[in-house]
Amino acid sequence: MLLIALLLVPLLAAGVLALTQDRVATVVHGIASLVTVALAIAAAAAVVRHTSLDALDGFLRADALSAWMVTLIGVVAALAALEAPHYAHGAPRRFYPFFHLFVFTMLLAVTTDDIGFMWVAVEGTTLASVFLVNFERTRASLEASYKYVLICSVGIAVAFLGTVLIYFADVAQFGGAEHVLRWTTLRRLAPGLSPRTVEMAFVFLLVGYGTKAGLAPMHTWLPDAHSEAPAPVSAMMSGILLAIGVYAILRFKPIVELAAGPAFVRRLLLGLGLASIAVAAAFLWNPRNYKRMLAYSSVEHIGLVTLGLGFGGPWGIAGAMLHIANHALAKSVLFLLSGRIRTAYASTEIDAVRGLLARLPVTGSLFFAAMLALMGLPPFGLFVSEVMILGAGFAGGYSVVAAVALGLVVIAFAGLLRALQRMLHGEAAGRGVERGAWTAVPFVAALALLLMTGLAWPPGLAGALEGIAGVITP
Amino acid sequence: MSDLSNLLAFLGLVTTLLMVWRQSRPARVRLLAAQSVLLAVHAVTIAWFTGRRGLLLVAVALVLVKAWWIPRALGRMGAGGAARPVAPGRSSGIRLLVAGALVVVAYALILPVSASSPLPTRGGIPLAFAMALVGLYACVSGREVVDQILGFLMFENGIFALGLLATYGLPGLVEAGVFLDVLVVVMVLEGLVIQIRREHASLDVDRLRELRG
Repeated sequence: MLLIALLLVPLLAAGVLALTQDRVATVVHGIASLVTVALAIAAAAAVVRHTSLDALDGFLRADALSAWMVTLIGVVAALAALEAPHYAHGAPRRFYPFFHLFVFTMLLAVTTDDIGFMWVAVEGTTLASVFLVNFERTRASLEASYKYVLICSVGIAVAFLGTVLIYFADVAQFGGAEHVLRWTTLRRLAPGLSPRTVEMAFVFLLVGYGTKAGLAPMHTWLPDAHSEAPAPVSAMMSGILLAIGVYAILRFKPIVELAAGPAFVRRLLLGLGLASIAVAAAFLWNPRNYKRMLAYSSVEHIGLVTLGLGFGGPWGIAGAMLHIANHALAKSVLFLLSGRIRTAYASTEIDAVRGLLARLPVTGSLFFAAMLALMGLPPFGLFVSEVMILGAGFAGGYSVVAAVALGLVVIAFAGLLRALQRMLHGEAAGRGVERGAWTAVPFVAALALLLMTGLAWPPGLAGALEGIAGVITP
Repeated sequence: MSDLSNLLAFLGLVTTLLMVWRQSRPARVRLLAAQSVLLAVHAVTIAWFTGRRGLLLVAVALVLVKAWWIPRALGRMGAGGAARPVAPGRSSGIRLLVAGALVVVAYALILPVSASSPLPTRGGIPLAFAMALVGLYACVSGREVVDQILGFLMFENGIFALGLLATYGLPGLVEAGVFLDVLVVVMVLEGLVIQIRREHASLDVDRLRELRG
């Protein structure tokens, strides 16, 4: 029931919002977002109690991994929803319905047990969000939207090819079995699947879903779409949409490992992870546009997550999952703040932003704190998860890979720090007015969560991470 | 059945290669429609021999979506543009050569895998896989927006053929989701392409260079 309600609320909200205007639309949007996040947390709590939830004869299913993702989607979408009215006021009917449809497709992707439907839902995320990317209808946003739809649709079609091959491996071996495209069935049958077919399928799945996750060299759509979308949409895309690409890969990881052994998966994950960090570091050394800077930093962090999954072991996997959550919080806060900065300075160029701390004291200090978190400095959570990931590499006999990654992370760090300094200090330019200090509360709450994952883990966090490791290690 | 299926799969690959070879856009759109009809015939053939009625529905959806609606949408997108590339000296020789090489690669990659299939349609699996790879190549090497979209649809058709031959099609609901998806993607792209043409007065991908770095 809980899962059905969780999916129905954003879907119905999208329908209602397509018909409402003005004040009513804002109220419906607010209520729907609030109910969605409440249901998301309730569903996650139920999973903790019962280890898994299912509905509709097992078609919908949430285990520890789904619960983790559902919580993140709920929290990040709620943060984005708070800022959304500042962007939607011009044309709420072109904004709110797609916003909630986007949330619906993301929730469906992580709660369906059918890998065919997971594919449909992941493709749905692209189609729901493309209208949001093109919301401002400028030349640049048009170009970004075109690249976004085309590259992601082709990418996701590659993943479909992989899905067909997995289905083929399954049918060739266990023709008559029921629900063969269900993940739970696949996982049970995995040891008997043809290793060669499954390995080939995984290459396509990794390239396909890796495109959605923003892994290099398939990341080319990402900086364009993330920088052109309105801030709340960028926050959701960067914070959770990329993680859904990783989620899809994670679902196939144990199946391939059971069928063909871990070495093959590991090599591919390490290669793509390292490539992503390298591409991002090269750009971050000297960024010009702060929204693109944040977008490339997402490529870096998704690369680190992939690396953690490649290193494996309890630390690698727990570190990667924790990193997904930490990055979701830090990056969504930063993208939402970048929207405020853009309104104040009327530009996304780093050189146009001067004296941020003096001009917008609240936004500026929050931006400063969130950037420190993003760069992986203690006491914030990203420091802990990065140490866990790289530690897993050094301890697991991948010292060279881990050392190279560490070097690249330091390069990215230096670039980000320089850009941050240029923005924070100097003669205050722009004519922005700060919003009320109370609007900082949700951001402070998000940063407080990051302090918790960095300093003192709340009760249940370690258990949740262990549960996820149980789902994705064969 | 296996001979008929292999012949149909072979004709499918031939239409894909013809699409790489032809320069005229309306001709390529017609080839895409023909290929979709061919796939529908293939689905009906398999339905006939195996008694899988669901495939008949799939065939109807194929004809409606991919042989009728999408070619019309592609026609609208390309309307007003030049039917042939304007820049001289671009022959399709090299492209055809690459496509030929991809067919060989497809065979090398999938033959060991497809040999394990118990189905009588397994002979066509490498041909379908080649259709997909060549389509992907046509998509990434397209110089105009409509070429890229055509390539994407060729790729989609190849994957569909692969699913059909390797597994007699995916479960009905998933297949329906895929059709809906292709339909929506093309609708979204049509809207964007019309805006692009209004903004840039061209469909050349090289004009899309607002976003750098």
